[in-house]
Amino acid sequence: MHLRDLWVHYGRGAPWVLREVHAELQPGEVGIVAGRNGAGKSTLLSVIAGIRPATRGTVDDRPTVVGWVPERFAAAQPFTARRYLLQMAAIRGLTAVAARAAVDRWAQRLYLTPFLGTKMSQLSKGSAQKVGLAQALLVPPGLLVLDEPWEGLDAQTREEIPALIAEVTAAGGMVLVSDHRGETVKMPHTTQWLVHDGRLTVTAAGEAERRCVIEISVAQSQAESTAARLRADGHDVLAVRL
Amino acid sequence: MTGLMAMRLSAYVRAQVALAPLLVALAILGIFYGGGQAEPAEAYGMSAVVLFPIFAWQVKILLDVEPDVQRHIAITAVGSRAREMGNGLLTGAVTTLVTVGLGMVLPWLLGGVSELNAKVPLGPSLVLGLWAHLVAIPPAVALGALASRPISRSAGVSALVLTGGAVLAIVLGLKGSPVPWLVPPLMATARATVNQVDVSTAALLTLWSLAWSAIAIYGYVRLRRFRP
Repeated sequence: MHLRDLWVHYGRGAPWVLREVHAELQPGEVGIVAGRNGAGKSTLLSVIAGIRPATRGTVDDRPTVVGWVPERFAAAQPFTARRYLLQMAAIRGLTAVAARAAVDRWAQRLYLTPFLGTKMSQLSKGSAQKVGLAQALLVPPGLLVLDEPWEGLDAQTREEIPALIAEVTAAGGMVLVSDHRGETVKMPHTTQWLVHDGRLTVTAAGEAERRCVIEISVAQSQAESTAARLRADGHDVLAVRL
Repeated sequence: MTGLMAMRLSAYVRAQVALAPLLVALAILGIFYGGGQAEPAEAYGMSAVVLFPIFAWQVKILLDVEPDVQRHIAITAVGSRAREMGNGLLTGAVTTLVTVGLGMVLPWLLGGVSELNAKVPLGPSLVLGLWAHLVAIPPAVALGALASRPISRSAGVSALVLTGGAVLAIVLGLKGSPVPWLVPPLMATARATVNQVDVSTAALLTLWSLAWSAIAIYGYVRLRRFRP
């Protein structure tokens, strides 16, 4: 898949959210999209997934089956989790039998089975996010795009995500996952996609030194200046928790 | 595509929001046919005019029931933005069919029409009536889409688009209007149903309706570029 000179803005006269984006992703590759809040990560992912058109430039050779996992799944839908997933499987072209098998398999894998009969509007945030994850995997995706998939998930399911990603890539799929919390630092053989001021810098697997997360504690009054100093020194400040 | 259509219709019915426009349609038709008897073809022509805003409202509700994030998932599931938008518009058109059925049947149940002394015989009247309602559907789909959440964004703007569009369609479509071509041919169709409509007039009005709808839907598609 090739991203060729992508430029994106949200309306005529609006500032560019993404500029001069060039990149490629090969089958079996994982790209970790990093950057500060508001840097343009979600916009980039939605353009790559085909949800939002680029203002200029093209995304070529996008796989036919794209799985999209949004940051916040929309649970306000008048279905049970099972009915929702069965309908999504039907949209993806699965037969009724194959749809039931796929739903049961992913529900079991994501510890969702007890909640399949629950109305979506009554699901906890974490369970709803699991439904959002399951719908993207019902058919093996050629491209799986995950926008902060860890939000709201329990620790058990969070641990599953690297394994799920590895399965998709082992089957020849590509994966792009955004992460501003450093959850992906343990994942091996990934390409780093850093979005900064609307521009993308890609560091191929092997070229990048392995990253790690250091948590530090400072006086609240010094939080802003410390973060600024760290950024000036070339470090990525992933989060400031007050 | 049929899977997404089924899911959207299911959400539309289950969310119980489909009931409001149907009740309003019943009330309007009850008032419309409660005052006396009219010739069927003529009455059907005006029924299509009064049901036009209801059709558009139904389309808007259908499109708004789906949360924005689910619409994004639907785009990836069907494979393209064009397919998702096409599916939404087509499913919106399907929601209006029940109201068309009401518009066709209710006048007989309420005794609001009579075929006695009618200029147009019963069979052609029914065909004309169905045609008059069907001609109103494409522009209603376009207006409903323009009033939907991704485009109008707020309830106030949405209501303004919906009511403004419906009022303008009637006012600018009145006989003697200097710019009747600015709006869909609802009033022109209603006027045509007073007498036997020849094929060329019917074809012209149908083309007018489709052309107006195509332009309005083009606007919807262009606006959706920035509001997926």
